[in-house]
Amino acid sequence: MRFLKIPASYWMVVGSIMGVAIISSYFVSNKKVDFNTEVKPLLNKKCITCHGGVKRQSGFSLLFRNDALAINKSGKVAIIPGDADNSEMIKRLYLKDPEERMPYKHPPLSNDEIALLKKWINQGAAWGNHWAYTPVQETPLPNIEQGPFGLFGKPAWIKNNVDAFIYEKLKEEKLTPSAMADKATLLRRVSLDLIGMPAPHAIAQQFLESTSSNAYEKLVDTLLTLPTYGEKWTSMWLDMARYADTKGFEKDDGRNIWRYRDWLIDAFNTDKPYNIFLTEQLAGDLLPNPTDAQYIATAFHRNTLTNDEGGSDNEEFRTAAVIDRVNTTWVSLMGTSFACVQCHSHPYDPFRHEEYYKFLAFFNNSRDEDTWAEYPVLKEFHNTDSTRFTALQKWLHSNAPNQEKEITQFIKTGQPAINSLVADEIKNGALADTKWLQFRNNGSARIKNIDLTGFTQLYYRYISWKSGGQFQIHVDSAKGAIVKNIAIGDSKGAWKIANITIPQTKGKHHFYITYHNNKINNPDESGVQFDWFHFTNPFPGKELAGYQTALQNFDSLLYAQQYTATPIMMENPFNLARTTNVFERGNWLVKGQEVIADVPASLGGLPPGAPRNRLGMAMWLTDKKNPLTSRTIVNRIWEQLFGQGIAETLEDLGTQGIAPTHEALLNYLAYQLMHQHQWSLKKTIKELVMSATYQQDSKFNKEAVLKDPFNKFYARGPRIRLSAEQIRDQALWVSGLLSEKMYGPSVMPYQPEGVWKSPYNGATWNLSKEGNQYRRALYTYVKRSAPYPSMISFDGTSREVCTVRRIRTNTPLQALNLLNDSVYIEAAQQLARRIKNMVPENVSKQIGKGYELAFNQSISPEKQKVFEKLYRTAFAKYSQDSLQIQQITGDKKAGPSGAALVLVATALLNTDEFLTKN
Amino acid sequence: MSKDNKKIIKEATIATTEQITRKYFFKECFSGMGAMALGSMLQGCDWLGNKDSFNNFTNTNPLMARAPHFIGKAKSVIYLHMAGAPSQLELFDFKPDLLKLDGQDCPQSLLEGKKFAFIRGVPKMLGPQAVFKQRGQSGAWISDNLPHLATVADEISFLKAVQTDQFNHGPAQLLMHTGSPRLGRPSIGSWVTYGLGSENSNLPGFMVLTSGGNNPDAGKSVWGSGFLPSVYQGVQCRNEGDPVLFLKDPAGIDRDLRKASIDAINEANQLTYNEFQDPEIVARMAQYEMAFKMQISVPDVMNINDEPAYIHEMYGTEPGKASFANNVLLARKLVEKGVRFVQLFDWGWDSHGTDGTTAVDIGLVNKCRNIDKPITALLLDLKQRGLLDETLVVWGGEFGRTPMQENRDGKTMPFKGRDHHTEAFTTWMAGGGIKQGSSFGETDEIGYSAISGKVTAHDMQATILNQLGFDHEKLTYTSQGRQFRLTDVHGRVINEIIA
Repeated sequence: MRFLKIPASYWMVVGSIMGVAIISSYFVSNKKVDFNTEVKPLLNKKCITCHGGVKRQSGFSLLFRNDALAINKSGKVAIIPGDADNSEMIKRLYLKDPEERMPYKHPPLSNDEIALLKKWINQGAAWGNHWAYTPVQETPLPNIEQGPFGLFGKPAWIKNNVDAFIYEKLKEEKLTPSAMADKATLLRRVSLDLIGMPAPHAIAQQFLESTSSNAYEKLVDTLLTLPTYGEKWTSMWLDMARYADTKGFEKDDGRNIWRYRDWLIDAFNTDKPYNIFLTEQLAGDLLPNPTDAQYIATAFHRNTLTNDEGGSDNEEFRTAAVIDRVNTTWVSLMGTSFACVQCHSHPYDPFRHEEYYKFLAFFNNSRDEDTWAEYPVLKEFHNTDSTRFTALQKWLHSNAPNQEKEITQFIKTGQPAINSLVADEIKNGALADTKWLQFRNNGSARIKNIDLTGFTQLYYRYISWKSGGQFQIHVDSAKGAIVKNIAIGDSKGAWKIANITIPQTKGKHHFYITYHNNKINNPDESGVQFDWFHFTNPFPGKELAGYQTALQNFDSLLYAQQYTATPIMMENPFNLARTTNVFERGNWLVKGQEVIADVPASLGGLPPGAPRNRLGMAMWLTDKKNPLTSRTIVNRIWEQLFGQGIAETLEDLGTQGIAPTHEALLNYLAYQLMHQHQWSLKKTIKELVMSATYQQDSKFNKEAVLKDPFNKFYARGPRIRLSAEQIRDQALWVSGLLSEKMYGPSVMPYQPEGVWKSPYNGATWNLSKEGNQYRRALYTYVKRSAPYPSMISFDGTSREVCTVRRIRTNTPLQALNLLNDSVYIEAAQQLARRIKNMVPENVSKQIGKGYELAFNQSISPEKQKVFEKLYRTAFAKYSQDSLQIQQITGDKKAGPSGAALVLVATALLNTDEFLTKN
Repeated sequence: MSKDNKKIIKEATIATTEQITRKYFFKECFSGMGAMALGSMLQGCDWLGNKDSFNNFTNTNPLMARAPHFIGKAKSVIYLHMAGAPSQLELFDFKPDLLKLDGQDCPQSLLEGKKFAFIRGVPKMLGPQAVFKQRGQSGAWISDNLPHLATVADEISFLKAVQTDQFNHGPAQLLMHTGSPRLGRPSIGSWVTYGLGSENSNLPGFMVLTSGGNNPDAGKSVWGSGFLPSVYQGVQCRNEGDPVLFLKDPAGIDRDLRKASIDAINEANQLTYNEFQDPEIVARMAQYEMAFKMQISVPDVMNINDEPAYIHEMYGTEPGKASFANNVLLARKLVEKGVRFVQLFDWGWDSHGTDGTTAVDIGLVNKCRNIDKPITALLLDLKQRGLLDETLVVWGGEFGRTPMQENRDGKTMPFKGRDHHTEAFTTWMAGGGIKQGSSFGETDEIGYSAISGKVTAHDMQATILNQLGFDHEKLTYTSQGRQFRLTDVHGRVINEIIA
């Protein structure tokens, strides 16, 4: 801790100078008006609804300085810097005529407000940047030395720099910080926060028994190394990534994207620096020679919805997914609500309408097109397919290095293929179920604007139901020159991949595909259906040794069965590139001016040398100059630990968000993350949990209840209801049921019958077995149209769109869930069994043990009495009813004592202190 | 609190509340509420924006009954959604000219620049596949598919020129119920519950019943709370198992034991409260009490066995069977008990003609038979109980159906069906301050386009909110830094059908 080593004398000097400065500025009457804290809130409240980004009455807008200083429709200038009296804006505030006086049809501004605006204009009408849009600077620590000249040093309560900021505010508010929480409480708190569940027994014991002064720090360090740490922080990220195991709309079919979830767990566990963590998720595919893991990271933005409903417009839903990626990137990674800029300039913050589409252009060139198969997907081969792939790659590397990348990419991702659903001008055919191009006899269709220069080989995936068919590729029109005539046999309804040599064409053309089959007599009968077309070159190295084996490997990998496929982001190659236009008023069908990819001007340009694609955008986003990225993540981490952000609106750090309670602290933490911790989240988390602020007792005292009921100033530790995930994991862990298995496809724990009922979908909820039903909550299968009930009860979301923060509620349905859900009944049964095994006799001791298992501390005599009373009531009742005993214990051999203990365990799992981080 | 006191407070509240939008409330009161659960907030900072009332922590219920912007005519809503989109041309929108065109090629002018879900190339026109008559004093056209409903035509206001811009079920249903075709927005029932709370503290404020074997295409999002706190989402009543998830005590815990365990939980919580003084604990204790009460009140209201025989006859209900009729009767019972918004979805109205069950002259007729008697009974029953005036009943689908016969993928279909149609369809409203026996909006002579009195989903939503006492432009919630409302930036109250 650098700060602590600085001699006190230094701080005395600084402190006194600062003190003088503050006092003098306070008394100088002509002090500079601050735009951000004084003027902007007033403008936002009184003016900007009509003179902002949405409406610009009389052409006057107060959003940007150059707009505000311009000549309006009336020919007058609203703001003349240095001359308030002649500024039309000020004149209009004084008028008597209600049609003329501003704010229009609203109460006039007060004299003080007008005086403030005049003073501001007279001082030059300087525009300030909102705090969150200014670069993160090194933040001086507040002077909290006590006594005259700081002679008594820092208060003993202070443990690290975080506390200095907190203490300063507490002093201002005349609040007293709380003492440290007791060890057991602290253990439970920090474990739930760091690993999302109680600490493993041995680690807990070691901490509780240790008398060392750094026992807590050791505990923190240990927790940060546990694999469960990655699982806990992944849970947080999944809400932002809108991660789910289904596609979303209508049938809501399954989607295989759990490899992304596993990537996150590993990324958190290895403490991947946050800038790289983001870069890989936003643009892993554009990094040089991307690894499988880097491709999988890009699934972050493949968690968008896909619409498989027959008759849906694929381009509409592709566009919707792109828009979602823009909005999610801003709201989750940069704490900025960008969604409103889709339809008009931002009403309050400095983002222009067209800037939305410039940013959208970064995302608009990805390969995905709302296909049923969710192309592009990355195949990770297993077993023999993996061996084949390695052999193929090796051969290519030595024999055809120039084509290695292209061929392995095609095998692994199937790209860059042209999806048949882009076809238009379809005659005697259709996009079957709006997914695949299907032809009847004499069918034809167009594929627009394709450049096939240099390609001589065509691969295509198809199903055919008839032998004797032929398809032709024509240039420029359905009757245009035939590039190739291709015979197509009966595939007997199975998908096949075929390839054929084609002559070269040059330049961009519309290609027409026609299909003829004289064996089809019924004009309504379809002969063939295509999935994709891939234009490339012949497999290389015909003359080289090993060619045959390599080709065999290639061919059989086209039909590989043993792989995990994950939807990923990939960029269009040059011949499929899209242009991007502004959508007028946000309507995707009304295209305005064409734009090229860029970031909003108010947040600085792309860094030098950054390419104009997603990678360049990621470089800008993770640049230390980006004012939002670091602030957003430290604010989020603070929220995870303290229950609320320093700026409460995690989703909006802009001028309409709730102002941070400790702006300097937020800046300090953001700077630390980038410069001191080198983007290490673990180090940031450690710094926070090592603070005295975090380690405080969470009891409310009278003073705090009155002055700070919501703990905005942190005169006590955080006391927050656990998240849906923590509640499940904790209950399973305490009972001893929790499976420690990590990774893999999502699982289906117990769920009542009849929750899933999607139309046209026979999918069923099959209870997982072999311990998989006891996995941590983050592995639970998420079906968007019918999410897991207890996740939703406890404020989880259905993951349709990015959720930046969950709003905690407290409802009777939560009580019913925990009282009656089989998951929790089973946990209670198991907890009762566990207790009985540990303490065979003596009810008092058994109850004490149960409490100890849950909280790592002894039960108070009063609580002991409460549970003993419940035990006695239950025991008496069960003694008369052996059927009830069997039902509640699920055990034919159990007696009334076992049954009563289950009831006690249920109660224990339902107490407020169990559901709350204390 | 006595009923009179409640009334006085309510009236006093209304005058002030009219000045204040929900945005104000959330902005002024929710700032910095931070760690506190919303549950505690809504009472802590009342609807008047009075920030000094944080000390009252004992009554902590986000579903507490609240006054709307002005006094609405309706207290509750029963929304009957026919998922799949029923054909207006076989039910309410009588087009004799279409009959004359039956079997002819559809003119190019109706196809150019249009997009259909399944029609390709040139389809044939399909005349009405039902017999129409004018009914009641109002002379409303209702087909013989709905003979019972025909007898109560004079209670109903028809909207004959409803339009949408979504021609797929999922997005269109979302638009109808959340104001947006994309997932992620709160449903109308959630908005209403957020605005009004619940009158019955033992029942959720927004309940959902489904029939027809499937959930609607858009999934549970059509009754989801979107970005509103999850407490406002619709609670689905189930046809099998527990009427509400996790309602039933597990085997081996009877009522006495449940009582004893909740007592123990709350006594332990009281001790925790004594130690921590966290008001949230008191809130949790109240929720456990309420859960206990709900375990009685929900099965009670969901039980239709005790209804008199004439009611069963009227509705065509059969206790124990999962049916639309049962759901309609339950809807009546729920609004009677003070539930604000009851949403029914009946699946299976997608009359494409791909098989008999989706043919407009076979499957549709059967679907009509299932709803005709119960819906008629609902209107009559509400009326005889004096509840129709304060209960708004809404009926409709997510879009309409084409005057052309569907020719999926350009092929002739074996049965008579119609494709999805966005440009004109019929919905209706009754009760809750809606005009009796009226009709608004007209379509052209073949029922293809709306020619006058066009309304949209947003207009219907604005009207529903209006009947409940809300200005749809002022019922807002800030999410992701932007103020949202149910009607997005659209919506007009359809004054033409308001009494």
